[in-house]
Amino acid sequence: MSTENDFDMDMIETLGPEFTVFVGLLLIMVVPNLGNGTFRIPGTPIRLPWFLGGTRFKAVASPRLPGLLAVLTMALALFQVVWYLLDATPADGQDIMAGGVFIFKVNMFSRIFEAIFFAALLLAAIASLDRLPIGSQKSDDIDVLFNNRRQADFYILMLTSALGMSVVALAQDMFVLFVGLELASFSTYILVAFHKESRAGSEGGAKYFIVGSVASAVGLYGLSMLYLWAGSLQFHELAAHWEAQGATSLSMMALGFVLVGFAFKISAAPFHFAAPDAYSGANSPVAGVLATASKAMGMLGLMRVLLIITVPEATADGSAIWIGLLGILAAVTMTWGNIAALGSENPKRMLAYSSVAHAGYMLAALTAIGAWNWGLVDNAGVAMDVVVAALLFHMFVLVFFKLGAFLVLGVLEMEGGASRLSSLAGLGKREPLLAVAMFLFMISLAGVPPMAGFLSKLLVIMGIVEVATGTGSLSSIGDAHWVWWLALLMVINSAISMFYYLRIGVVMYFHEPEEGRKGPLASGASIRIAIALCAIGTVAFGLVGGELIDLCRDAAESLR
Amino acid sequence: MNVDYLSMMVILPILASIFLLILTSRLNPAARAKFDAPVRMAAFIISLAMFAVATLMFLGQIGDVGWNDIAFNTFEFQESYVWIEQLGITWTVGVDGLSFPMVWLTTLLMPITIIATWNEKAGATYFPLMLMLGGALIGVFVALDMFMFYVFWELTLIPMFFMILKWGGKDRKYAAQKFFIYTFTASVIMLLGLLTMYFLMDTQTFNMQEMVVQASGANASGVWLGLEVQKVLFIMLMLGFLVKLPAAPFHTWLPDAHVQAPTGGSMMLAGVMLKMGAYGMFRLPISLFPHALEEFQFIIMMIGLVSLVWGAIVCLGQTNLKKMVAYSSVSHMGVILLGIASMQPLGWAAALFMMFAHGIISPMLFAVCGAFKHHYHSMEIGAMRGMAKHSPWLATSMMFGWMASLGLPLLAGFVAELMLMVAYWYAYGWWIIFPGLVLAITAAYYLWSMQRTIFEGGEATQPPESLHGEPVPDIDNSEKIAMLLLAAFTILFGIMPWIFLDMMDMWTRSAMAFLGLGGA
Repeated sequence: MSTENDFDMDMIETLGPEFTVFVGLLLIMVVPNLGNGTFRIPGTPIRLPWFLGGTRFKAVASPRLPGLLAVLTMALALFQVVWYLLDATPADGQDIMAGGVFIFKVNMFSRIFEAIFFAALLLAAIASLDRLPIGSQKSDDIDVLFNNRRQADFYILMLTSALGMSVVALAQDMFVLFVGLELASFSTYILVAFHKESRAGSEGGAKYFIVGSVASAVGLYGLSMLYLWAGSLQFHELAAHWEAQGATSLSMMALGFVLVGFAFKISAAPFHFAAPDAYSGANSPVAGVLATASKAMGMLGLMRVLLIITVPEATADGSAIWIGLLGILAAVTMTWGNIAALGSENPKRMLAYSSVAHAGYMLAALTAIGAWNWGLVDNAGVAMDVVVAALLFHMFVLVFFKLGAFLVLGVLEMEGGASRLSSLAGLGKREPLLAVAMFLFMISLAGVPPMAGFLSKLLVIMGIVEVATGTGSLSSIGDAHWVWWLALLMVINSAISMFYYLRIGVVMYFHEPEEGRKGPLASGASIRIAIALCAIGTVAFGLVGGELIDLCRDAAESLR
Repeated sequence: MNVDYLSMMVILPILASIFLLILTSRLNPAARAKFDAPVRMAAFIISLAMFAVATLMFLGQIGDVGWNDIAFNTFEFQESYVWIEQLGITWTVGVDGLSFPMVWLTTLLMPITIIATWNEKAGATYFPLMLMLGGALIGVFVALDMFMFYVFWELTLIPMFFMILKWGGKDRKYAAQKFFIYTFTASVIMLLGLLTMYFLMDTQTFNMQEMVVQASGANASGVWLGLEVQKVLFIMLMLGFLVKLPAAPFHTWLPDAHVQAPTGGSMMLAGVMLKMGAYGMFRLPISLFPHALEEFQFIIMMIGLVSLVWGAIVCLGQTNLKKMVAYSSVSHMGVILLGIASMQPLGWAAALFMMFAHGIISPMLFAVCGAFKHHYHSMEIGAMRGMAKHSPWLATSMMFGWMASLGLPLLAGFVAELMLMVAYWYAYGWWIIFPGLVLAITAAYYLWSMQRTIFEGGEATQPPESLHGEPVPDIDNSEKIAMLLLAAFTILFGIMPWIFLDMMDMWTRSAMAFLGLGGA
């Protein structure tokens, strides 16, 4: 484990992907503005060319340039991250310090989260190449809108959110983590409201911003209390303090407040109210990012706080002190999300609620980690690894089928809105391949084999059951740890969720298309490429997910 | 050369189906219609090839297997490959006396179903789905890995869902979703049971064969995993299979699915898919939890009896031909449960043979219903009168099918019912009144429906109103061929049941001995 103190070339190498994103960000700001602009030295007639402004050069005037730059940046960053992951071992890890304080830590665990973030943002960026959030305007106007300066803004915000998410992934200090979280959050607030011409866009953005700010404020308040309690916000010091002092009323309260902040990010009930509005107001690729990358960021925060700081020998039976609370939260979240999704007629709201339900499944897995010492004392770390790996796998493959589903809606949006279930009607006839992809995403979300969603749900349930059955000899099922019942609730919820996922399939294949939406959809090569990538990922990781599972296990191991 | 025929029989039809579906997916409907005939031919040839392979296996031309000597928990044509190493998941296939008849039945029904629905509309999509369904069904029967079993178990839902949805009747959306959701709900609970069991095992394995060895080792001296746990797991697993079977009170999806499903879908659904439930029971909960089975013996018997009686009584009240046949399926599946609950080798063999016989007879019933619907545009029993005069072929087929289903001697169904009655009498004595009574009810509804469709009306009969004055047709040649084939096999297995009964008998006797159950 090497430690680096100063900003130098080594550090650029260590933080390669982050620098890539940073450079890409600068390029998007600068390159589209290059032109024959000149600078007149004051008081003289001499004009010096300084290449900014004026008439833009032809090569950089293309409205597609910012998007291409963003795609290239994300692709390069993702490549670097994957390169690192394939090369690294769980024991690897580089600390980055400044002034004796741990700022970042680069290891497999943080890198795999970055892979999730970058993959989601890359797919969203590819999908947005064809279209910008253009409200309900018809596709003919796309060229006009491409010349809109907002083109650059959109991708700048995407990259800043990527940067913020990376910071969250790497952070070793609650404060740094919080800064990253806010950077990413503010970018997504604006991205949600980017659709400002439509009422839904502004309303969704405003709601998302207000609720998000309140959640952040509460989280920040919790942080201040943590600081009051421990005198530091460094993870390792907080963990040491927790081990020494255990739970006090101050630390518990602080923990509770911090949890609220993250619970909003993963849209856990009862902090999920803004999510459906935000998702349905945002354009689809952005909504997809919210449901995948942004959610993974929240989970990451929760994992840092719950697994690193509050070590779970705090209670008599060896389970974490928060396990009861989290278990209730998980049960409520998955059930609420599914039942609300049953009744929603807007496919984006439905997907939003389904993502609430998925948050519930993830929380159930986290709850199981809290019980990891139950009956498995000599084997604690391994049991934890299993569940963490399941969570990582789940979040990773979720990118493909959740985002993919949003992107299919995105194609429909290009045609004029996807806010009613009936906008999907007849897709099976109009665009058979698109409909098949959507159907694959739906059954993957529901957890039908052989899709990736099944494997991920299987891993999560396996993790929970493994923890719940403990050492493996029970005299009755009632003797299993109560997280077993969360697994039962989870499978029942999967069955409930089948209703609304299947309904999409039925509507796509067997309802007549709406008036005026008969022929094939507007073309959009790049969004289709993104959807195809998602579909391939959904099937491939379901059939042969072994390598990814290995990777997730290694990453989970590096968390310890 | 060592060819893994079983895996090929699973993978090839599925790959072929995906290939055919993708091939025609981008075409417009008119262009796709041109592909109907070639795609049908491709599907037919593939299914015939599968049937040939299965038959050659049985005849000993492929591999040299003494089918009648396969003891419980030994498998033939066994192959194993690593699938997801990280989770210990393998692709393991093999057949024994329990699964081989089902595999053979599936391969038999596939070409017959394709013949019977030769002119199904949108064939370029329909026939590939049929192939996918067949491959997935064989996957269920040959899988010896729990994960693989579950994957194919669920995979069968997808083609069937689309078959009902695209080619179904008026309420097809409701029926297709109900079908999917019922089965899915039950199977996720089953999945949780399987996983819980997995983690409670001493040596964790997904391999069913090893599981049975482990379980029986522990069951011999005590109760594997403890009786309480075994009971809970037994319930969770059985739930998945009972819904699929289906047994009362979980049977309500079946009439809806059948009535709405297209003929081909119904034939495969009744012929093979229902048997997945019974097969699963024998393969997992019964093989693993004999102690729990003994505990629940009476409850299973009651569920079987209720299915049997309820199904038969509901049949009496049906005016829809297909619904009547569907409820008669519920009734017959109750017989399988009675066979299991008899805890006699004979009763189990009766259950296995019932699975097989019903797998040949019920497709015939649904083929008759399909032809009825196809030619008279109606499913009402009263719609057609004097069919014997208008459509002698259909009338004959219907009569044959109905007689086979109510258990006429020399036909396949009779063998199973007779064996069951004997075993049931040994096990439960005077309770035999109930199944006996049901036989009478069964005869009543079948005869009554025949009387109203085939004979009533006579000379004065008018063609049914649903035809709007068109001439009354008889069935197509393709339908005739399918009916003839099914009738031939019904007679064959009625006269020579030992063809498969011997291996079933071997399986049940060795299983009972192995599990330490019943009279063995």
